[in-house]
Amino acid sequence: MTQRPAPPPLHRRLGARLRTLLRLCAHFLHPTRFILAPLLLVLLLAGVLLLLTGGLAYVTPFVYTLF
Amino acid sequence: MAVVLGISGNYHDAAAALVIDGQVVAAIQEERLSRIKNDAGLPIAAALACLDHAGVDPRAVDRLAFYEDPVAKLERVLVHLLKNMPRTWRAFPRALASQLGVKIWALDHLSESLGVPRDRVVALDHHRSHAASAFFASPYQEAAVLVVDGVGEAHATTLWSGRGHQLDLLASVDFPHSLGLLYAGLTAWLGFAVNEGEYKVMGLAAFGDPSRLRDVFLQKIIHLQGDGSYQLDLACFAHMSDAELGFGPALERLLGPRRPQAKPWDLGDPADRRYADAAAALQSVLEDTLLGLAGRALQLSGARHLCLAGGVALNARANARISQFLRTRGGDAGDGRLFVQPAAGDAGGALGAALLASAELGDPRPPPLQSAALGLPVDPARALEIARHLGLAPRRVDDPCQEAARRICDGQLVAFVQGRFEWGPRALGQRSLLASPRELATRERLNRVIKQREPFRPFAPAVLSQETSQFFAAEPDDLTPFMTTTAPVLPAALPRLRAVTHVDGSARLQTVEAARAPELHALLTGLEGLGEAPIALNTSLNGAGEPIVASAEDALAFWLRHGVDAMIIGDLLLERTR
Repeated sequence: MTQRPAPPPLHRRLGARLRTLLRLCAHFLHPTRFILAPLLLVLLLAGVLLLLTGGLAYVTPFVYTLF
Repeated sequence: MAVVLGISGNYHDAAAALVIDGQVVAAIQEERLSRIKNDAGLPIAAALACLDHAGVDPRAVDRLAFYEDPVAKLERVLVHLLKNMPRTWRAFPRALASQLGVKIWALDHLSESLGVPRDRVVALDHHRSHAASAFFASPYQEAAVLVVDGVGEAHATTLWSGRGHQLDLLASVDFPHSLGLLYAGLTAWLGFAVNEGEYKVMGLAAFGDPSRLRDVFLQKIIHLQGDGSYQLDLACFAHMSDAELGFGPALERLLGPRRPQAKPWDLGDPADRRYADAAAALQSVLEDTLLGLAGRALQLSGARHLCLAGGVALNARANARISQFLRTRGGDAGDGRLFVQPAAGDAGGALGAALLASAELGDPRPPPLQSAALGLPVDPARALEIARHLGLAPRRVDDPCQEAARRICDGQLVAFVQGRFEWGPRALGQRSLLASPRELATRERLNRVIKQREPFRPFAPAVLSQETSQFFAAEPDDLTPFMTTTAPVLPAALPRLRAVTHVDGSARLQTVEAARAPELHALLTGLEGLGEAPIALNTSLNGAGEPIVASAEDALAFWLRHGVDAMIIGDLLLERTR
């Protein structure tokens, strides 16, 4: 059975997160969406806090329409 | 030549699919391994199991393709939460916490959990993944593709043109207008669990009269447009603002109060008859809408054949009508065919993402999907070891298929566990509970004692492919091997098929060929040799609320919990002493 690999070192994990953040910024800085950028910035800070505290997950029937 | 892993997850029905050099090597739903029904996490165990089955090291994966774009999804969530303020103010913090705390990091989590370098992990489009899962696995080089589900990033329905390796988007209907969410909202109103009870609504529909509420649906709930598209009356729905309930007070004003959950059904009661009428009207309107969309997709693409994907494509009754429509279209367009991939819901997105990424890397399209047996094989030696440890008395049999046939002839319920488990929600002979289709009492016993489900729910027949027309008004087609359509039972065959004939005279048949399901084929041939019809009642090997059995351990757990008469795992027989 293939074992779950050991977690990558911290610098790799931070690099991966940075990649996602850059992708997120690039998406929302597009001219058709930049109106959402300030809101997203505030929410991102909250998101980073959540990430540091372990994150959250919800399971409800219509979760995919809202969350 | 590439190794590609496709992943769906983080909402419901997480799954992984492995494609090597353009060939589908393995496809597994996480629920089969985690034993959590409709597992909504990331399918780490399923992905590792796929790699292990193929003997591939995770570091050798060339591309890991996630079935949707978390960033585009975040945008849709954000925009609709803001649009629907103040109704969404309660949901807003939770929704954003979930998105920003967990879901946008999905690609990072996959990379870290599976050991695949992050630069090889990509996100694709939800509906494109669905479309690819149907078209690239189909037998057609050219086809229209119709994807109908709840919602992906922004689209709820999409029409595509498929040619060779190419998939081009032709048209879409976007959230919050969604056929999947219409069906889900009505599922909730009928008192069933959303994402699980939709099959029950389909079964219930046959007991109702669609004409009683059809006009209400067409005038007040869904508006069909001339171009095949549709619009929902959003006042009837709450999926834009409420994650718990899909319908709003306006729907209850139109159709009456919601049905209490878990209340026993009595279809002699006028109140329950009205709920059945609503299910029938919903089914009728859904079928008409799908026919309009199918016609439009064929018109825009210029294709003759159609592939259907998304959760709504699991509606076997609607598929039968679309299939009939394709066969009987006039002129050169006649003789069109329909294909539905067996895991048409979100799990199928994993397969589609893998096939899309594989095509992008230059690999060939896979051959048409022949079998849904893409999971892990059962290990009879392991089953023997566990059975002995549990103090059971298993014995080996020379011909397990003949043994099963003989017991089915004797009226026994036989749990049949052979080879690799199935991909998708249907048991197709690898993890099946089999019985004689003759007696209604068999259906009652299965529904009430083993499955513990509503008495109106039908069971499906598996029939030898070449004998199909002896019992059903149908011929084998691209749907019947995967049990994704229905067909009328011939009146002369009815006395032999009472346990598998629904109240409307139809059955959700599976046609069985030796090349696709050799053990089930041998079993049905055995039944024929014993003087019976070569047909068995075939239902999934699971109890109420359980995922279908996967491993030897799961099979023995099922044996201990449920009162079946015999279980055959490979060549190992367990029998209940009476």
